[in-house]
Amino acid sequence: MNDIRIGVYVCWCGTNIAKMVDVEKIAEELSALPHVVLSRNYKYMCSDPGQDMIIKDIHEHKLNRVVVAACSPRIHELTFRKALQNAGLNPYMFEMANIREQVSWVHTDRDSATKKAKSLVSAAINKVSFHEPLEKRTVEINPATLIIGGGVSGISAALEIADSGRHVFLLEKSDSLGGLAAKIDLNFPYLNSATNLLNPLIKRVNDHEHIELFTNVSVNEIFGYIGNFKTKITLKNGQEKELEFGNIIVATGLKTFNPSAIKEYGYGKYSNVITSLEFESMLKEGKILTKEGKVPRNIAIIHCVGSRNSNYHNYCSRVCCMTALKYANQIRSTLPEAHIYQLYADMRAFGKGCEEFYAETSRKDIVFMMFDQRQDLPSVSALKDKNHSELQICFHELLSGEDVEVHADIVILMVGMEAHEDAKEIAHAVGISLCGNEFYLEKHPKLDPVATTTDGVFIVGTCQSPKDIPDSISQAKAAAARILATILKKTVEVEVTTAVVNEEVCCGCQTCVNVCPYSAISYIEDRKVSFVNEILCKGCGTCGSACPSGAIKSRHFTDQQIMSQIAGLMQMVLKEEV
Amino acid sequence: MRYKVEPDLKQDLKKFGIHDEWKDCFHCGNCTAICPLTENNFLFPRKAIRNVQMGLKDKITSNLDPWLCYYCGECSETCPRDANPGELMMTLRRYLTSKYDWTGLSRKFYTSHFWEFGAIIFIAAIVVALFAIFLPPAADLMLNPKNFINEQGGVMINNLSATFGGDNFVSIIEWGDWTMAIIVATLLITNILRMFYKSIIKDYTIKVPFGSYFSEAWQLVWNFALQPKFSKCDKKSYWIGHLLLMSSYSIMFAIIVVLLPKFQIEEIKPWYNWQRILGYYATFGLLFFLIYVSIKRFQAKEVSTKYSHITDWLFIIMLGLTTITGILVHFFRIGGLPGATYYMYVIHLAILVPMILIEVPFSKWSHLAYRPFAVYFSQLKKAAYKKQSSVKIAVAA
Repeated sequence: MNDIRIGVYVCWCGTNIAKMVDVEKIAEELSALPHVVLSRNYKYMCSDPGQDMIIKDIHEHKLNRVVVAACSPRIHELTFRKALQNAGLNPYMFEMANIREQVSWVHTDRDSATKKAKSLVSAAINKVSFHEPLEKRTVEINPATLIIGGGVSGISAALEIADSGRHVFLLEKSDSLGGLAAKIDLNFPYLNSATNLLNPLIKRVNDHEHIELFTNVSVNEIFGYIGNFKTKITLKNGQEKELEFGNIIVATGLKTFNPSAIKEYGYGKYSNVITSLEFESMLKEGKILTKEGKVPRNIAIIHCVGSRNSNYHNYCSRVCCMTALKYANQIRSTLPEAHIYQLYADMRAFGKGCEEFYAETSRKDIVFMMFDQRQDLPSVSALKDKNHSELQICFHELLSGEDVEVHADIVILMVGMEAHEDAKEIAHAVGISLCGNEFYLEKHPKLDPVATTTDGVFIVGTCQSPKDIPDSISQAKAAAARILATILKKTVEVEVTTAVVNEEVCCGCQTCVNVCPYSAISYIEDRKVSFVNEILCKGCGTCGSACPSGAIKSRHFTDQQIMSQIAGLMQMVLKEEV
Repeated sequence: MRYKVEPDLKQDLKKFGIHDEWKDCFHCGNCTAICPLTENNFLFPRKAIRNVQMGLKDKITSNLDPWLCYYCGECSETCPRDANPGELMMTLRRYLTSKYDWTGLSRKFYTSHFWEFGAIIFIAAIVVALFAIFLPPAADLMLNPKNFINEQGGVMINNLSATFGGDNFVSIIEWGDWTMAIIVATLLITNILRMFYKSIIKDYTIKVPFGSYFSEAWQLVWNFALQPKFSKCDKKSYWIGHLLLMSSYSIMFAIIVVLLPKFQIEEIKPWYNWQRILGYYATFGLLFFLIYVSIKRFQAKEVSTKYSHITDWLFIIMLGLTTITGILVHFFRIGGLPGATYYMYVIHLAILVPMILIEVPFSKWSHLAYRPFAVYFSQLKKAAYKKQSSVKIAVAA
């Protein structure tokens, strides 16, 4: 390896790194390592002068590998790869050491931080010595899109894509479009009719020349990769149909929590204890009546049913608080004399117009009472003295500190939201991951909330987490924009630091096939070996570490490279000890 | 103990003067923090607002807090939502007065103008009728006024009636005084027993240590005489003003009830005589207070006088008329006008008697008894809390 010539660049990141790490000292000391031709430090490596410095050094000092010690590679790896490319070097002959997020931002002792930074850079230098040039790969995009789920999110995404003239396959499990939004009467916070919002959209979907709608269908396994997916669907008449498409939007929504699990509330035991969804249909019919057909005088609304409690779901279902306020408004206008009780855990009014809606509703003679959602749920029981009401709710009210009883003719349970039972199946069919609550996991919770770790598969609406209609539609349109952008490029770049199987060594045990989270490995029967589809592979390295015969090599993460990294890390530590 | 949530309570409380502002309370606790009377287990006025918001009727009835509050108004001034907790406490005092009263008349007087004015007129009519029947004016009162003037030139006030004169006349008035006092005292005492039952016996969270009934009894006298709790309010002038007013009342009470035979005499003493000085002091005290409070209520600028219930005005008007007619009786007498003196004396009593009979047991003036007793009872509760918490600590240790 005589011809390895490495340039090392330590970034100050203004004061971000320099205040906690002695960058000048590191740069000086690392210049002594083997193969390091030069080692510099600079205020902002990512700036144009910083990149120009690398390009100039590559030309002048004949560098063939570069290490930059700066921020996270998520932020600037591409920047520096481009700089290498501009200098005529293969962009993959580059390694980044993260000494900002992993060092300067998280440590408080300058000496120790400097030592740690030095170890990390030295590991990167060792690793980059074994880098090989890789070639970028691109795949062509099929301009059709598959959308799973015909709720408000799926419909919005479908119309957005189809309006641009691209074909959409829209799959719906039930026999009609609209999803959960079709089951509700009015929307919060502006109290307009959900049907009026939804019907024009549904009509447009039905009439759209670029939308092919399939109702009463279920999703089978989807094969392929970004740009080139295909699947078979089973139509209602039993026929199978094959679809080909380049991108997928999963908009499968969620379902409501079944409150019979909470014994305290007596759902199923008392006929006048109903769920919010059942109350919606009452509102849609325009009659608020008890099961006995009486006009109720006392209506109690219990919040957070199945939400924010470790026995059920820990998360907040986000829409119930405002829905409960909506009920209060609707009841107040229908039954001006009724007593309306809101039994809440915390009022959450975070959406646009929601706090105002809360303030306005709180002036409508509604009794708000707070209970301990985590440890002390209210309990519903039959009332012995049935002069006025059938039911009573007993609980410890937190703002007054008193044990109280509330009499009620109707008890509305604001049931929480949870993932569909078949969420897991669909996740498997499409190749996406679930987070702890069985909702779908996004690629990045903040920076990339609609994409998934599988390229070409997007998640929108409530299958990602409970959310209201505006948020669902925003996600749907964001995903549509992302897909239209890839369709417009016609091709898409795919990861190149993938795994590769050495067929000579592979024993055909298929361990790798089972562990691959991206379904990228298949087993080739006639040759009895595994095969990595390099377009599906993300280079995560799981197969490489699982392979019992050492037949799988993860490019740029070979065993040799990892051992050299460890040696680099330890070298610095040992040096200090001596 | 579980309390029933009864939202209709607020409709009821509206008749006692509550306004809608309390609905805006979001329980930040600023009022509790600013209130000079706040102590452990006595977190008012926030808790009272919460009880009203939820309609915990039984809880409110057992609550003594409104009587401990002297309405300095700092809670309402500090409230970020303008929920006016001070006025809520005022309303609750009226409501509690009606709750303690077993006759049900207090509720009627507070909530119905017909009952309130009807009762005043009815009692006034009885007073006039009693005079007409038992103490009618002398036949020649108007024809020969000179017969009723003494050697000092003043009216012989005890000898204006056709039936009784001199000591007999004074005795009859004194007898009437004591009858009225006994009626009022009986009503007040029975109501205080009900207050005790509702706030101590029915509060199942406490068990009052027996000894404290005696050891805390001094609180009654102390708080009745000087209102030391009132002095805790930042606005000391309110407390001093109230003390002056009370001294006027007490002197008046002594003059017209306890020492009536010594005061209602025919001889007109010189102005510097101690009896007359006391009388003038008390009259001046009442007049000053009445003018001051009327101005405040008209201006309605300060928190405590922003809202005036009909009974607040009626109290001022009745006391004002009593004072003015009393002054007129005095001047007619000195001025030697026997007829005017007799009729003004009847009018004076026809206003004074309904005022005492309605205000003291059933309305605003009942606080003279409820406040010191509330302090006493709350001391009992405090003794109970103290004992209970020390027991708890002992168990925990």
